[in-house]
Amino acid sequence: MSNRCFTLAALLLVSSLAVAAAQNAPSPPQPATPTQHIKIAFVQIDGDPRYEPLRGYTRTILKTPGHPFAGAEIGVDEAAPLTRLLNTDFTLDRISVKSPAEVAPAVLAAANAGTHFFLIDAPAQAYATLATALHGRNVLLFNVSAPDDSLRRDLCSAEMIHVYPSRAQLMDGLVQYLVSRKWSNLLVFEGPTPEDTAMAGTFSRSAQKFGAHVIANQHFKPGTDPRDREQNDPALLSAINRDFDIVFVADSDFDFVRSVPYHLVRPRPVVGSIDLEPVAWHWTWEHNGAPQVNSRFEKKSGGRHMEGPDWAAWVAVKMIVQSTLRTHSADFAEQRAFILGDNDFDGDKGLAVSVRPWDHQVRQAVLLAAPYEVTGSAPIEGFLHQTNELDTLGDDRPESQCHLDK
Amino acid sequence: MNGHAMRKFAFAIPFLLIVVPAEAKDTGLIYVSNEKSNNIIVLDPKTYKIVNDIKVSRRPRDMHFSADHTKLYIACGDEDVIDVLDVAKGEVTGKIATGSSPETFAIDEQHRRLYVSDEESSSLAIIDMDQGVILTQVPTGAEPEGVMASNDGKTVYVTSEVGNLVHVVDAAGGYVTDDIVVGTRPRRFTATPDGKELWVSTELSGEVYIIDREKLVVTGKIEFLPPGMRKSDVTPVGLTMTSDGKTAYVTLGHANNIAVVDVATRAVQGYILVGKRAWGATLSRDDKTLYVTDGLGDDLTVIDTASRKATISVPVGRTPWGVVIDE
Repeated sequence: MSNRCFTLAALLLVSSLAVAAAQNAPSPPQPATPTQHIKIAFVQIDGDPRYEPLRGYTRTILKTPGHPFAGAEIGVDEAAPLTRLLNTDFTLDRISVKSPAEVAPAVLAAANAGTHFFLIDAPAQAYATLATALHGRNVLLFNVSAPDDSLRRDLCSAEMIHVYPSRAQLMDGLVQYLVSRKWSNLLVFEGPTPEDTAMAGTFSRSAQKFGAHVIANQHFKPGTDPRDREQNDPALLSAINRDFDIVFVADSDFDFVRSVPYHLVRPRPVVGSIDLEPVAWHWTWEHNGAPQVNSRFEKKSGGRHMEGPDWAAWVAVKMIVQSTLRTHSADFAEQRAFILGDNDFDGDKGLAVSVRPWDHQVRQAVLLAAPYEVTGSAPIEGFLHQTNELDTLGDDRPESQCHLDK
Repeated sequence: MNGHAMRKFAFAIPFLLIVVPAEAKDTGLIYVSNEKSNNIIVLDPKTYKIVNDIKVSRRPRDMHFSADHTKLYIACGDEDVIDVLDVAKGEVTGKIATGSSPETFAIDEQHRRLYVSDEESSSLAIIDMDQGVILTQVPTGAEPEGVMASNDGKTVYVTSEVGNLVHVVDAAGGYVTDDIVVGTRPRRFTATPDGKELWVSTELSGEVYIIDREKLVVTGKIEFLPPGMRKSDVTPVGLTMTSDGKTAYVTLGHANNIAVVDVATRAVQGYILVGKRAWGATLSRDDKTLYVTDGLGDDLTVIDTASRKATISVPVGRTPWGVVIDE
């Protein structure tokens, strides 16, 4: 070991002497202090129930989701080598508020203090006041975790960019895969929460869009009460007089759904909230440079697997950084024009991601994730589109209710 | 590109031209690295039969022969080493520690240096190849990939896939002197034999960028679209150039084709259909045969460059990455 150190020192000495001896050898560039600063704010809600650990029985923790802040952090880390070139540094501020209602005032205050870029990590109910409060302001609000279609369709805010996939995109991706396997007779189990209703409804619309059939929609009721057995026993719920190819379960609590696989009356696969899930990102995705991103993320987050919101936060920061790199400018108007323009970004999911001009949803592939393998990536081969196959997923221009480019 | 870089090197140092014929076996054997089966498959150049299957460290990717072809250096990404294969024995006899996840590298035998892109640690490792010691780790943008050393060994070029940059590195000083912005996800290099142009494949933007090595500016770019393919399928990665500098070949990844480019006019002259996800590409010394690894087809496609036809595809191993020829 000491021998090795000595050799290293000797070699370094020799090489530094060689450098010193060389005529007109360039000296190492001094790290200059960047003169332009781009601030990115990450806004989250303390105690956001979406990030509570998912428990099995009392202390058994099944999943520990985390705020996607680490996704934004790796994006900012990746920008560090560009500081020298762009004479610009990128900083990330974490703003924590107590409730969804406090998101809008916090963003407004930061916008008044000069921040243009915000990553919004909040549930859908925070968005209406946010849209009103920031309407017409020089900001871009990147939605990194809310899939609700209503934000894209009804709210339709010019200041927002939905980097996280819409529920319509996710369900279209799943149904494309099912249809490609000719599994077109679909049985739906719908849970009691509004989110379950939204999920099941979107799934049914996707089925209709791609020519599959929901043959029955069964409402389940979690529990063990024998009087409710028709609603809490997967075997009885699936004992219908028609055959089906798969069961789709909408269970945002990740509770009842765990008892569905292997308990159906027929041997059929389960998709939706378990087993085959449509997601924005998965830790086992191994193409398009994904292993390196997953590895950087796991290091940054202390070992957590990278998930959809993490991907969205990462891509949002990448869009901001790329807009600076490609426009050679820290001028917000130019950056916004670049991001919303007809430009491609690298999302490590194959087809390049970009912003749909009509509703500001980010076009992207949807990964179909089994627990330990990405089984497929939508758009599935064969689902064609006249301009961009990514527009076979979610609201394409003709059916969108939002027309921000008109 | 590997064999090509080696040839240029040999031309640059006349001393080696004398040594090479004396020691090289000139077997013509074809070596293919397989990322997922962790082996090097050796093929007979006439029959394309497998003559050896050599177990190496995990995730072998880029390979380069020493100038005398007695050794083959193999970057093994999942064990953070470059394996040193004794070519005559057909077994790994040494390992050189690198940074985290070595992907591609360049050799400068005159200065006894290896320049290795360490994908996971975002750096270019400068390694003393005799001592096996990392001398410097030059910070780069995230996911550095393609590495090329200039013939005089003074300059090293390295791409950053995430930074969309080509870094120009002062090899002796061990620092970046220039950053050149190119297309999205820059991957690999080749250079014109006159030393004037550097060609860089940019996978996601589907292009090849051309850089003036004197002025360090982008002077042009080439786009590709094989018949029946969509722009989004075109993901160029591997590229190589004939020794007369007239023709370049570019692998187009998911478009499953090779582009043939006229270097002088930068015009695409045609496309050759190969296997699934065309990745690494290497020319035989006489430029008559092009070998292409098909990463998602687990095979190697052999192309006759005169007729621009694929003559055979042979199974090699799981996720073949690169190919070099012992000649």
